[in-house]
Amino acid sequence: MYKNFNLSGEMFNNYNNKFVPIILPIILIFIWYLLTNGLGLFSSYILPGPIDVVKSAVVVIQNGKLLTNTVDTLLKVFAGLILASVVAIPLGILLGWYKALEDLCTFVISILRPIPPVAWIPFSILWFGIGTVPAVFIIFMGCVFPILVYTIDGVKRTDKVLVESAQTLGAKDWNVLKRVVLPSTVPYIVSGLKVGIGIALMCTISAEMIGSSSGLGYMILTATNLFDTGTTVVGMLVIGLIGLVFDFIFTRIQNRIFW
Amino acid sequence: MSIEVKNIYKSFEGKKSDKLSVLEDINLTINDGELICLLGPSGCGKTTLLRLIAGLDQPTSGEIVANGEVVEKPSGDRAVIFQQYSLFPWLTVLQNVTFGLEMTNPGNKEENIAAAERYLKSVGLIEFKDSYPHELSGGMKQRVAIIRSLLNHSPILLMDEPFSALDMQNRHKLQEQLIGVWKRFENTIVFVTHDVDEAVYLADKIVILDKNPGKIANIVEVNIERPRKRDSEEFIALQDSIVENLDMGD
Repeated sequence: MYKNFNLSGEMFNNYNNKFVPIILPIILIFIWYLLTNGLGLFSSYILPGPIDVVKSAVVVIQNGKLLTNTVDTLLKVFAGLILASVVAIPLGILLGWYKALEDLCTFVISILRPIPPVAWIPFSILWFGIGTVPAVFIIFMGCVFPILVYTIDGVKRTDKVLVESAQTLGAKDWNVLKRVVLPSTVPYIVSGLKVGIGIALMCTISAEMIGSSSGLGYMILTATNLFDTGTTVVGMLVIGLIGLVFDFIFTRIQNRIFW
Repeated sequence: MSIEVKNIYKSFEGKKSDKLSVLEDINLTINDGELICLLGPSGCGKTTLLRLIAGLDQPTSGEIVANGEVVEKPSGDRAVIFQQYSLFPWLTVLQNVTFGLEMTNPGNKEENIAAAERYLKSVGLIEFKDSYPHELSGGMKQRVAIIRSLLNHSPILLMDEPFSALDMQNRHKLQEQLIGVWKRFENTIVFVTHDVDEAVYLADKIVILDKNPGKIANIVEVNIERPRKRDSEEFIALQDSIVENLDMGD
């Protein structure tokens, strides 16, 4: 019995083929095509087929709407993420290092953190109106906590021996933080940013659907209202693609950090 | 720089507020330029004593005076070489070695690098100056750590079983190099070990600690001329007499 088990294990795990990851997408696209454009089981409004989506894509690419809205969304994501990092990374290092400061903030963080970022949408509109700023605010609220929590965790996991070495080499508190704790926390900060960017993307789309007049979320919603669901799918796929690219970039960065 | 250890007691809070007494009534004078070994079984508090001298921990009572000042916190004057490898993994060998100088002597970047390269050359590690710690062997890492402290001109080196993870050949080589370094720089060295052979090879004075609680059992002066030969009669005789009287407890 074990022999069989091993054999099948080898069969599934010891192959060398880079095309395996694209087999499933091809099958899914084919089924999708059969159900829609092929057999016509669904109307193109309820479920647009691959051909409708390609047609819509050509239109939004040619009239520039896809590019402007994508750039718009990306700018908001970056702005929110950068703002969140500027606040969360230094704060995380201080909270992770000074126990009293963490104790002081722990309740506030624990209560604010579980609130879904989209729950801030009403106030973001009341405070900032419609447009880019409320979206950036939502993204900020979504990213700041994961980055903060990862940073605090990273600081606490700093190897005590390294801190003590630095101290006995004459480093004072500030240099210990800057030269030892910060670099040792970098891998955790990168993980926090990776989680944060995923959340940022989700927040942006939600925010754009409610309180915005530009971006991929806005494009998706207006296209659907105009019965142009092909464009809706284009928008969704672009969001997926952006996530994929970010994930790839961050994984590359993580692989380059060797400590 | 001399060190005075006066009436040191150290206990840790255990479970249910039972106090675990680790060190009791430790009195010790370490003269300037002396190389002493703290020898004892595991759990005798020798590392704790070293950490107290370093200022990394505080005694429950008593005080430690280094160069006329009471030790309250860690300082660049008392460098510690830890048993675990303690190089900064994100810095190259050269950057690791200059770390201390950047803390104590910033603004002299070129001078610091030149000094670091000179030291690395003297122990044959210059070709590894741009390597990262994870690319080095254990012995190389400890050599870099020692250079890092020496370069900082720390008058006191506190070493916590720095060679215990190395194989015998490397351990002997590093012991020899340490003696060379110590003669050249005339540091005061406190070296923690559980290895009698190591203590007899290195020390001017061996401070033997008992455990439960840690107390000084005996202080042995080692009057064997350097370089010491492990197969010489006096070396073996001293080693045997220490082993006989030492309760390693395990």
